[in-house]
Order: sequence, then structure tokens, then C-alpha cells
Amino acid sequence: MTAPLIELEKVCKTYNQGQLNEVKALHDVSLAIEPGVMVCLQGASGSGKSTLLSIIGCVFPPTSGRAAIAGKQLARMPDRFLTIHRRNTIGFIFQHFNILPGLTVLENITLPLMPLGIAPRARKERAERLMGMLSISHRANFPARQISGGELQRVAIARALINDPPIILADEPTAHLDHTLSLAFMEIMQELQRAGKTIILTSHDALITQHPAVERIIAIQDGEIHVP
Amino acid sequence: MSFEKQLNIIDYSLSSIWRRRVKSMGVMVVFAAVIFLLASFQMTTKALTNVARDTLVSAPEITVQKMRAGRQESIPVAYQTELVSIRGIKTITPRIWGYYFHETKGANLTILGLDPQSMPFGQDLGQAIDSGRLPNEHEAVLGQGAYAYLSSPGSAMFSLFRPDLTLKALTVSGTFKASTDLLTYDTLFMSLADAQDLFLMPEGMVTDLCVTVANPTEVPTISKKIAALLPDTRVVTRQQIQKTYQAVFGWRSGFASICLLTALASFIIFAWDKASGLTPEEKKEISILKIIGWQTSDVLALRFWEGLIVSTVSFLVGYTLAYVHVAFFEAGLFRPILIGWSVLHPALRLLPTIDLGETLLVLCLTVVPYLAATVIPAWRSAIIPADSALN
Amino acid sequence: MFLNSWSVALSLLSLVVLILSAIAARTAISVLRYWDPASDSNRQIRLENETWLSSTLVQYAMGFQVLSLILFVLAADNFSKVISGAMCATGSLTANQYGMFVLFVKMLGAFCCGFWIVLHFLDISSERYPLLKTKYVALMCLLPLLLVDIVCQTLYIANLKPDIITSCCAVVFGEGGGNDGNLLGSMPQGLLLEVFYGTALLLAILGHFLYRRLNRLLLWLNGLVWLAFIGVSFVAITTVFSSYVYAMPYHHCPFCILKPEYHYIGFAIYGTMLPAGFFGLAAALVGVIPARYGLAEVVRRFQKKAVLWSSILLTLFVIVVSYHYVLYRFVGGEGS
Repeated sequence: MTAPLIELEKVCKTYNQGQLNEVKALHDVSLAIEPGVMVCLQGASGSGKSTLLSIIGCVFPPTSGRAAIAGKQLARMPDRFLTIHRRNTIGFIFQHFNILPGLTVLENITLPLMPLGIAPRARKERAERLMGMLSISHRANFPARQISGGELQRVAIARALINDPPIILADEPTAHLDHTLSLAFMEIMQELQRAGKTIILTSHDALITQHPAVERIIAIQDGEIHVP
Repeated sequence: MSFEKQLNIIDYSLSSIWRRRVKSMGVMVVFAAVIFLLASFQMTTKALTNVARDTLVSAPEITVQKMRAGRQESIPVAYQTELVSIRGIKTITPRIWGYYFHETKGANLTILGLDPQSMPFGQDLGQAIDSGRLPNEHEAVLGQGAYAYLSSPGSAMFSLFRPDLTLKALTVSGTFKASTDLLTYDTLFMSLADAQDLFLMPEGMVTDLCVTVANPTEVPTISKKIAALLPDTRVVTRQQIQKTYQAVFGWRSGFASICLLTALASFIIFAWDKASGLTPEEKKEISILKIIGWQTSDVLALRFWEGLIVSTVSFLVGYTLAYVHVAFFEAGLFRPILIGWSVLHPALRLLPTIDLGETLLVLCLTVVPYLAATVIPAWRSAIIPADSALN
Repeated sequence: MFLNSWSVALSLLSLVVLILSAIAARTAISVLRYWDPASDSNRQIRLENETWLSSTLVQYAMGFQVLSLILFVLAADNFSKVISGAMCATGSLTANQYGMFVLFVKMLGAFCCGFWIVLHFLDISSERYPLLKTKYVALMCLLPLLLVDIVCQTLYIANLKPDIITSCCAVVFGEGGGNDGNLLGSMPQGLLLEVFYGTALLLAILGHFLYRRLNRLLLWLNGLVWLAFIGVSFVAITTVFSSYVYAMPYHHCPFCILKPEYHYIGFAIYGTMLPAGFFGLAAALVGVIPARYGLAEVVRRFQKKAVLWSSILLTLFVIVVSYHYVLYRFVGGEGS
């Protein structure tokens, strides 16, 4: 068995620690995810699902416990280093795509490469390869607000992949897609998984939860992992 | 790498300004207006002092005036005999320099009475004359403004009132060149005798004595000697006149810049407000940038470059407009404040000079406060947490 | 003499620098009191955010401080047009006892801001932020310096008396030509030049060796020599090089070379000399960071870069400053 890519041990996350409005969002969560698998996180809103996703996504460190993502301990890592680690290891696909409508498709896709100091030409080359793969090359110079939902989804995927991260996090990726587009999305995810990426999805959509490629479903309830 | 990163961030800030062009344009227009005001003032001052400096070149090195009770009064021509003993003095020329209020025109005219023959810089004055010749008896050379006021079509004659209201008739013998307008615009130049007659000054009295010196480095020593010999006089050197001009212009522009600082202050508040009031879209944008790997410092750099680009564009626009205003519209908005010692304002041609120092001065008065005022709003926007993109 | 655009601009600039660093220092107090990397409280998160604010503010302050330094010299040149006896910046800077001191403090202020920024970038290259407390103590120390700057500058401006024709009969005379003369007495030119070029050569050799192999002792030596060299350069520029720029043997002014008449060559001269000195000093100063902070590798890399830059800038400086001198001496022209 390979060493886990994501390893959480007794992870707690408390918001507004020490204050009246203190919220314990995660409580003693332990979890291990091996590289190259596809996992689905399930949980109602307020269950701590987003918090768990944020910790796995290196957005913030846990309040206590050990969280090792792609070989790095997140505990007490300053934001600056979390960001560096995040951009090298995680590709995000958001529920509302979070594509900047004023920028073109190409600009949106290459956005993560800008603070890395990669020159425009190199950025474009990388993006073109991905756009070809996801067949949105013809939209490269369109403003993102002018393209369809399915295309937006693929722009989001391309942006998540542009820095070639080992982990893809997709938050409710099919919530705004119809059945056909959702199927197409899962097909892309499956291909990525075959290429060695670790994929973590959150969803209520049966199409995802019952998808053959999803190897494991992790249910969260009241800040703890729920074993049915 | 870091350099490439900054280039990328500049690239992004340009597109960001363009995407928010209405908001950025608003800031730029107001900013350019503030810069325009300050720069116009600064350029006008500079141009005026340059003109003053150029025209003063022909002024006498030392002027001796008689003082009584702290006020200037007529000086006897005979005083010059006292000075003859001082070595180093080249010439001493009695002069009448006074003002004549023209009641019907409501204008103040400068009267300059000199004997052109006895005057070493008679040639200089001659060169300043545009047309005609130096005045003989009952003649006068007029500055451009004075000429426009006094001349009547078809006649070279005009008359002025003596203090006892009798009329003194004079003939125009020439006019001064427009290039010497700052000093000659409202001037009537006539012989010493005519000026004495006009003001009904007693025989042998003038307003001041002009002293020229053979060696310019001796001016301070000779001035001290004159002051010692004639204790009831005030001795003024050309350098002092120059410095006084400079100081007066300096005060006025300093005062004006303090006034304009209020304009600047209101702009700063406006800029602060514009920079702080982030729309939900802008907040969303920053959280997206941050979650996909932009650092807080990258967003701060982005805001810095945006501020710098906005300032640079506004500065160039404001500064260019100020140049046009001063050079081609003769600083129409401010000249009354900066010149204004006579009702007749010289319509002189101002030639602003662009030099690094003045540019830097205006830059420090405008761009620096703007950048400083936008740091905190920039930081506020940069610390929007990345996880807000997830919800 | 506050009623003057230059005075207004200088005061405004110093005030902005002071306010920015005061805000930064406020963060310093809370960081020194409450910083706790083990905590996940809101306060810690806020403090982490505030460290970004303070470092940005100091970076702005440094930029403005450099501007203020340039503006101060240019303003002095402008003041000379209204002050009795002053013909150029030297005259107005020596018109009262504050002028030269303010100039020195401004320069020191810019250097200190620069050192702080170096400290900051070294600090944030480690996940543990090992220099955090040191950095904020240093920031608190910076504040009094900037305060001295603005107070003395205000005193300087307040004590400038413009030379105006007074209405009383007393004559205010410029103190003649004497006052304006030279900042420094005459010195044996030959010896001074030997010292100048000797020190420059020594620095070049030291730089060469240090770039190949960093050595703590040599770095300190290098830093000290740089300190001396900055002093020697000022003297050499004032008493020797400047008069070759002006092509006037009796005009020794270290400031007029900044004027457009001389093609702003002064900016190239000081713009290479001061940064070169900064890097030379910084390379030595960062050597005091103890190895236990785990910054050894970053410090070493910075020192190497700093030594390289100081050597490059030194070369440029020597070329620019010698240009007119060499031209005059060996070509016999006046060099422009």
C-alpha cells in the first residue's frame, strides 16, 4: 500500500477561538487518502464539509491535530507558505466556477501562473495544450461572460490543471450543470484519475456518489466523520 | 523570477484598470485636475522669476535711496559728490522712479526719468526700445500697456496732470519691446527734467541714485562704504532685488500651494473612499486570486502598480495641460494672483521650463499623498481571506 | 520660511513618512505583545495580516524617504535664490546649523529603512518567521530617527531667513562671497585621490574574493571599508571631482552636480555610490543573524548577491565620477 497523500490525524478546527461566538467546525477528524483515488465528501451544509475541504486544500491550517498534505505538515504554517504549498499541490474547481467574467478564457486559465513569474508566452503555451485537451481552444480569446455553462466548467478545469497539481478539489462541481454536462465532467475526472491525479469531490448528486469511479464516500456530520 | 512576476502583476493591473475604467477614469480626471492646478502655479512662478531675472540683468548694481522716518523720500542729486571718493564706482546716475495714477483709466503707470546720455546702460534701454528713439525734451518712450492706454489715434501727443492739476503735454517718441513687458509694460520713460516737472519735484532732487560698479565682486564692499558715507540712505543691491522677487513669488506660490493642499486633501479623501469601497465583485475577485495561489503581497503589489499607473497617467495629463495653460494661455487662471502689483497686468509671454526639480516637487505634492492614502485600503482588500471563494 | 512650495512639499513628505511608519509601529507593539504562532485565534490571524501592512508601509516609507532626500537637496538649491549670501545648495544648507544634519539624518533614515526591508525579506523566507521580534524592535527604533528628521527639518526651514529689501534703513548684506565658498577646506588633492582610488581598488578586490568565497571576517572588513569609502567619496566628490564637472577650479560643491546644467550627472554619481554602499554594509550586517535561526542558506545567498551588486555599482560609480576628471586630465577637454 502506498503512503497516503492526504493524512489527517485528530484534526480540529475552531473558528473565533476563545470568543463568545466560538464555533467548533471540525472535531477529531482522522482521515487518510491515497494518491490516485477519487473520493467523494458528503455532508449537509454546516456539517463541516467546507472546513474539511479548506484544510485539505491548504487554505488554512487546522487549529490542532496533524494535517499532512502532499508531504507537508500544515500545522502552524503561516499563510504565505500555505499559499505556496497550495498553488503547487491543489487545483480547485468551485461550485460557481469562480471564473472572472471580465477576463478572457485564456487569461482566466493562466491566472494561477502569474504570481509564479511565468512569462506570457510560456503561460499561453501551457494553456493552449489544456484548452486543446478540453476542446475550448476556439473560445480562448472570448470574454468569460460570453461563454456557456458547460464551457465555463471546462475553463474551470483547465485553470485547476494549469500548474499540474497532484490533487484536484471539486466543490459541488455538477450543481449547476445538466445531466449530459455532468456526465461529461465525470468522464474528464475519470481520465484525470487514470493519469494519476487524486480527486476529491463534494456532492449530493447521485450521478457522482454512485459513479463507478468514485472509490470511497466520506460522510461528515456535526464536524465528525460519520461511519454509517 | 521576481522581475517576471512583477511584470505579470503590472500586466494584470493594467487590465484591471481597464476593466474598471469608469471608476479609474473618475479618479484620474479629478487627480489630473489637482495636478494641473499645482503644476500651473509652480510653472507660472518659475516662468515669472525667470522673466524677472532676465529683465533685471540691466538694472543698476546698486541703488541708493534716502530714508526719513522709515520712509523713502527724495534724495538730493548733490549726494553723488560724496560718493565720488569711493574707488571702484564706475558711474552714478540720478533717477526718478515713481508711479502716476491715471484717474480716468484707473491705471497705475510707472514713470522712469533718466538722462539717457549720462546713463551707462542707455544703450541697453535703447535696445529695449522697439520703435522710435530715446526721448528728448517733452518726449516719452512708452511700454506696451501704457501706450495702449494713453495713445489716441492720429496723434502722438498725450497729457498728464501735475500734482497741482495743471496739464503736462508729452509726445510719444517710441515704445518698448514686448519682451521686456514685465518691467516696462506700464512704464513711461522720459528725461530727468520732464519727470521732475511732472511730479513738481524741487530742482536737484531725484528719487534715487543708480550706482554701477567696475568689478561686480566689489558690490558688497562698495555698498557698505556708501551706507557708511550716507547714513540716512538705504542701499539696495541688484542681487537683493532679485532675491526679493524670488521670495515674493516664492511666498505667493507657497501660499497658493497651501490653499491648493485643501484641494489635494479633498481629492485624497475621494481617492481613499474610492479605494476602500470594494464592490462584492471586487472582493470575490481577490478571494479567487488568493485561493488559486496569489499571495497577500502579490495583491498588495497589484494595488501598488494600479496606484502608480493611475498616478502616472494623471500626472502626465495634468502636467501637460498645465504646460499648455501656462505657455499658450498665459496662465490665465492665476496670473492676477501672482503678478498683480499694478492694475495694468503685463501681458507678457510666459515660457515655462520643464526641469527635474520642479517636476519632482509637484510629484511629491500630489502622487506621494495619493499613494500613501491608498496603502491602507489596498491592504484591507489584500487581506480578504482565500476561503471566502469557497462559499 | 514655510511659505514656499518647497518647504510645503518637504514638510508634507516627512509627515507622510512619519505617519506611515507610526502606523507600522502600532502593529509592532501588538505583534511584540501578542504574537503567538501556536494560536489559531482571530487575534493571531489579524496580527498575521497586520504584518503585511507594516512591511508594506515601511517599503513605501523608504521610497518616500529617498524622494525626500533628493527633494531636500533640490530645495536647498532653490532656497539659495532667496537666502542672503547663498549661491547654491551648499550656501543654504550651511545657512543654519540644522541643514547638514538633516541631510545626514535623511540619508541614515533611507539606509535604515533599507536594512529593515532586507531583514523583512530574510525573515519571511522561513516558515518560522525567526526574525519577527527583532524586526519589530528594529521598527520601533526607526521611529525616533524619523521623528528627529521631521523636527530638525522643520527647525531648519523655520530658521531660514530670506534676504528681502527691508523697509527700514538698515542694510542687510549678504555675508559676501566667503560664506558660500566650500563645504570643506582645501586638501592635498593628490593624496586624497590616492586614498579614494586605493580604497575603491581594495573594495573591488575584497568583493572579488567574497563573491568566490564568503568569509565572515572579510565581510565585516568589507563593511567597514565601505563605511570609510562613503566618507572618502563625499570628500573626494566635494573637493576634487565636482570642480572638474563644473570646469571651474574654485567651485567645490557636492550638490550642484545634480543640476540640469551638468546633465544631472550627480544623480548617476550618488545613485550608484549610495546603493553600492548600502549593499556593502548590508552584506556585513546580516552576518550577525545567528545560525540557529535556520536562515544560514538565505543569508548566504543574500550576501553573495549584495556583494555582487555592490561591486557592479562600485565599478559604475568610479567610472561616472572619474569621467570628467579623466577627460580633463588626459584628453584636456572640458568634458561635455
